[in-house]
Amino acid sequence: MRVSEPKKGTTLRFKTESCREIIILRFLSLGLELRTTMEGWDPTTKSTLTQIPLLTVKAGPRDGAAWTQRLKEEYKALIAYTSMNKSRDNDWFRISAANPEGTRWTGKCWYVHNLLKYEFDLQFDIPVTYPATAPELELPQLDGKTHKMYRGGKICLTVHFKPLWAKNSPRFGIAHALCLGLAPWLAAEIPILVDSGMIKHKDDAVSTSEA
Amino acid sequence: MDEELLELQRQFESAQQAKSSIRLSERNVVELVQKLRQLNIIDFDLLHTVSGKEYITPEHLRIEIVSEIKKLGRVSLIDLADTIGVDLYHVEKQAQIVVADDSLLMLINGEIISDWYWNNVCEEINDRLQECSQIALAEIAAQLQVGSELLVTVLEPRLGTRIKGRLEGGQLYTPAYVARVNAMVRGAARGITVPMNLSALWGSLQLLLQEMDGASGVAVEGSFFQSMFNGLVKEGQVLGSVRAGVHWTPSVFAIAQKECVDSFFSQNSVVSYEALHKLGITQPIQFLQSRYPEGIPLVTLFVHPSTVEMLDAAVEDAIERGSWIDSLSVLPTSFVPQDANKMLSLCPSVQTALKANKALILGDSYVFSTGFVKDLYERMEKDLDTISFSGPSSTGLADDWHVTKVAKSGQETSGTPADFNDTSSESGSNKQAADRGSKKKKGKPNTNTKTGAVDNSSDNQESVPAKSKKNQKKGKVTSSSLGSDSKSNTKKDVDKIKEESLGIFSEDELCRRITELVPDFEEQGIDPETVLVPLASHLRPMLLNAWNERRKAALTDNGQKIKRVLDNLQKKLDESSLNMQLYEKGLDLFEDNPSTSGLLHRHLLRTTAAPMVDMLLSNMDMLNKLKNGLDVQDTDNPESISLSSGDRIALAKKFDGPLSAKAIAVVEALEGKRVEAYMTTLRALADECGLTVKKLDKKLERTLLHSYRKDLSAQVSAETDPVAILPKVVSLLYIQFYARALQAPGRTISVAISKLKDKLDDSAYKTLEEYHAATVTLLTLISASTGDEEDCTSDRTLSKKELLERLMPALKALVSRPSQ
Repeated sequence: MRVSEPKKGTTLRFKTESCREIIILRFLSLGLELRTTMEGWDPTTKSTLTQIPLLTVKAGPRDGAAWTQRLKEEYKALIAYTSMNKSRDNDWFRISAANPEGTRWTGKCWYVHNLLKYEFDLQFDIPVTYPATAPELELPQLDGKTHKMYRGGKICLTVHFKPLWAKNSPRFGIAHALCLGLAPWLAAEIPILVDSGMIKHKDDAVSTSEA
Repeated sequence: MDEELLELQRQFESAQQAKSSIRLSERNVVELVQKLRQLNIIDFDLLHTVSGKEYITPEHLRIEIVSEIKKLGRVSLIDLADTIGVDLYHVEKQAQIVVADDSLLMLINGEIISDWYWNNVCEEINDRLQECSQIALAEIAAQLQVGSELLVTVLEPRLGTRIKGRLEGGQLYTPAYVARVNAMVRGAARGITVPMNLSALWGSLQLLLQEMDGASGVAVEGSFFQSMFNGLVKEGQVLGSVRAGVHWTPSVFAIAQKECVDSFFSQNSVVSYEALHKLGITQPIQFLQSRYPEGIPLVTLFVHPSTVEMLDAAVEDAIERGSWIDSLSVLPTSFVPQDANKMLSLCPSVQTALKANKALILGDSYVFSTGFVKDLYERMEKDLDTISFSGPSSTGLADDWHVTKVAKSGQETSGTPADFNDTSSESGSNKQAADRGSKKKKGKPNTNTKTGAVDNSSDNQESVPAKSKKNQKKGKVTSSSLGSDSKSNTKKDVDKIKEESLGIFSEDELCRRITELVPDFEEQGIDPETVLVPLASHLRPMLLNAWNERRKAALTDNGQKIKRVLDNLQKKLDESSLNMQLYEKGLDLFEDNPSTSGLLHRHLLRTTAAPMVDMLLSNMDMLNKLKNGLDVQDTDNPESISLSSGDRIALAKKFDGPLSAKAIAVVEALEGKRVEAYMTTLRALADECGLTVKKLDKKLERTLLHSYRKDLSAQVSAETDPVAILPKVVSLLYIQFYARALQAPGRTISVAISKLKDKLDDSAYKTLEEYHAATVTLLTLISASTGDEEDCTSDRTLSKKELLERLMPALKALVSRPSQ
C-alpha cells in the first residue's frame, strides 16, 4: 500500500490492466506468461531475469521448515544470479543474511558511472507476507537525496514491478527482486544523482564529510 | 541450522567472492590488437576471418585445414574457405604449404585429396568390381568427379593389391571375368574353320556378352578381345595366322586348303586358279609356285609338266603326219584357248617346228602343219582361175577410186557409198592384225606381214598406170603419206587397204571354201570363228598375193591396150564432138522457128549424139575392165555398138560416184531436146574421164565444112536413090549459101527449102520445090501402098519415081553448078 501511495491513479489503472492480463494468462503456459508480462523492461534485464532459477516453495519467514526450504532455494537462485553476473562482468552487489533466520539481509551495491564506482549500503527485511509481498530494498545512504525513494531509503520501484511480482508470486525470490528492482533503479537514478551533485564519489564524499 | 543451508550460505559467499571475468568490447579488442602490433609485441602474421570478428594465425589455419582434411580425406579449397571462414586466398596459400609438407596429400583441381582417401576409394571400387565383375573407368570418374586420367594414375599402383582386377581399355575387370571372356575368345577362335575378319567375330562376341549381362553389361571393346586373342595365339592355344591384325586364317583351314589343292593337283596334274579362289587363296600363282616349283603357271591354270609332254607328243604326231590338231581336244576341258596357246609355246616340238617353219599356230589352240596349209593353199589357188575375173572386177575399180579419194581428203569415215564391207569382214581384218601382232612378238618370221606389205604396195602400183597423170599424183601422195604418217595411222591405212582387198576374197567366202575342201572341220563341229577365220586370214594374203601377181601380169599386158583405147577414144571423141558442134551451128538458122528447131535438135541428138555417147560409155567400160587387169577381147569396131537408153543408164550406173552421176546426166540430156544441154553434160563427163572435148574454132570449122561439102557433093554425085538425094542436096545448098552444116530430118526439109528461097534464083528454087513435092507424094504413096504389085498406086509410085529420076540430074546440076 505504501508503495502505491505517491501515484495512486496510475496504480489503479495498472490494476485493471493486470486483472485482465491475469485472466488471459490463466490459460497460457508459464514461460509465455512471464514473457508477455515482461513488456516494458529493457532487454538485458529481461534476459537476465529469465535465467535466474525460479523458486517453488511458497513459504514466509514464519513457516518454519518450509521457510528453510524456501531460503535454500533463495540461496541457489542468488548463487546462480551472482555467478551469472560475474561471468558477464556485471557484478554489482554483495549481500549476506544478517540473522540466522535469514529474514534480514545486508550488504552493498554499487554502480559505475563515468569510470567512477559509487557504492552504497544495501539492506532489507523479508516481510511476513513474503513471498506474496516483495521485500522493500533500502539504500539508507541515499535517504532524502532523491524523490524516487520512500522514507528510510526504501527505493521506489516502477509501476511494472509490483504486478509482475504478484503474478509470479511464489516463484520470484530475492534475486529476482534485486534484478528487477534495484538494478534498473540504480541505472536510472545514480547518473542523475551524480550529475545533480546529490552524491559524490567516496573520495570527494570523504572530504566533504570531513569538512 | 540446516547443514545444507549453511553450505549454501558458504557457496553464496564464495560465489560473491569469486573474481568476476573481465570483458572487453570488440572495438576495444581490435584497438588493443592494433596497439600490440604497433608496439611489435605481435610480430607474426595475423589473419582475420571473413566475418571480421576473429583473428587467426597461419599456423592455426594450417591446423584447421589438416583437421578438415582428416574428416573426409578429400576437401575442396572453396569448401574449406567456407567452413574455416578465412579468405580463399589465404586458404589456398596455406593449403599449398600443407600439401607440400605432407607427401600423402595431393592438391588437384582445387581439391586436397589424401592418400588414404584413395585407398578407401579403391576398396569401394574393389567391392563394386567383385559384385559387377566389370566397371568402366569413366563411370567411376564421373562418380568421384575426378578426371579419368588422374583416376588411372591413382588406380594403377593399387591394381592387384587393393583392387583385385585388371584394367583394360578404360575398363576394370575381375580376373574371373577376364578368364570368362578369355574362354569365350578361345572357344570362338577354335570354332572358326574358315578365314574370318576378327572384328566381325568380336562384334558377335560383344553381342553375346551383352545378352548374358543384360542391360547392365558394359560394352567390351574389341581391343580387349584382340589382346586376349593375341595372347592365345602366342601361347599356341589357337593355331593359325593373323594377317594385318584382323584377318584370321585358322591353321585347320590352311591345312584343308593345302590338302585339297594337293589332292586335286596330284590327281589331275592341273588346277585352275578359279578353284583356288574358291578355296580362299587370293594369290594362286604365288601359292602354287611356292608349293610346286616344277609346275607351270598359265593364264587361268597351273599345270604339271607332264601335261606339256602329253600335248607335245600329240602335236608332234600331227605335224609329222602333215595334219592339224586342236590342242584343246587333247587337253582337259578346263583349258581356255589362251592357256592352250601358252602350253603350245612351251612344247619343244612346236618350238622346233615353228623355227623350222613347219607348223603354224592359229586361233591360240590350233596347230597346223605347214604341209597341210600348203596343200590347202594349192588347192585353193587352183580355184582362183575360176573365180578371178568373173564378178568383182568393177567393184575392184570402184575400190581403188575410193581409196585415193579417202586418202586425198584424209577422211576415214566409214559409210561412204563404196564402203560396202560388212562388219564381219572388218572384224576379221582386225583379228588378222591382232594375230599378226602376237606372232610378231614371238619373233617368228611371218609371211603374213610380208604379204600385207606386198599387197599394199601392189595396190598402189596398180593405181599408177590406171589413172591419168593427175590421179597418179594422188596415188603418190597416198603412198608417201602412208610412209610418213604415225604408226597408228599407217596401220589404219593398211587396214583400210586390206579392207578394200577383202572385197575380192571375203573371209566368209574363204571359210566356205576351206570347209568344202576339208570336210573334217565341219564334221568335228569346230567353231568357224576360232579356226577358219584365222586360217582364212592366213591364207588370204597368200591368195591375194597370187591373185595380184596374176593381175599385175595382166596389167602390164593391158597397159598398152589401155593407152591405145584411150587414144582411140580421144580421137573418136574429137571427131564426133566437132561434127556435133558443126551441126549445132547449123541449127542456129532455125532458131526463129521453134517447132522446126525442136525437131532439128532431136534429130541431131538421135543421129549424131547417140552413137557418140554409146561409143564413150562402151569404151569407158572397157577401160575399167582393163584397169582391173582383166583381159578384154579387142572390139575392133566400138562404133558399131548401139545401145538402148536402158542399157546406157545401166552402164552409167556401173561407174563410180561422180562419174556415174555425170554419165547418167549425159544419158538423160540425150533423151532431152536441147543440144546445148547435152554438150555441157558431155563436157563434164569428159572432164571426169580425163578426156577433152575440143572446141570448134573458125579454121577448124572451115576445113571441116569443106571436107563435109566435098563428102556431100561426092555423095550427091554418086547418089542414085531419088528420095535420099534430096536432104543431101539441101544440106549441100546450105553449106553453099549459109556455110553451115545441116542435118535435117525429112519433115523439116520443106522448111529448109523455104529458107533457101532468097538465095536461089527462081528456076533453081522451083526445081527444088518441085522435086520436094514429088518426093513427098512418092513417100506418101509408098507409105499408103499395101504392097500389092498390081495395084494402081504402085503404077503411080512407079511413075513418080520415074519423074524423080528425071528430075535428079537437074537437082544434081543445081548443086554442082555453084561449085563449078
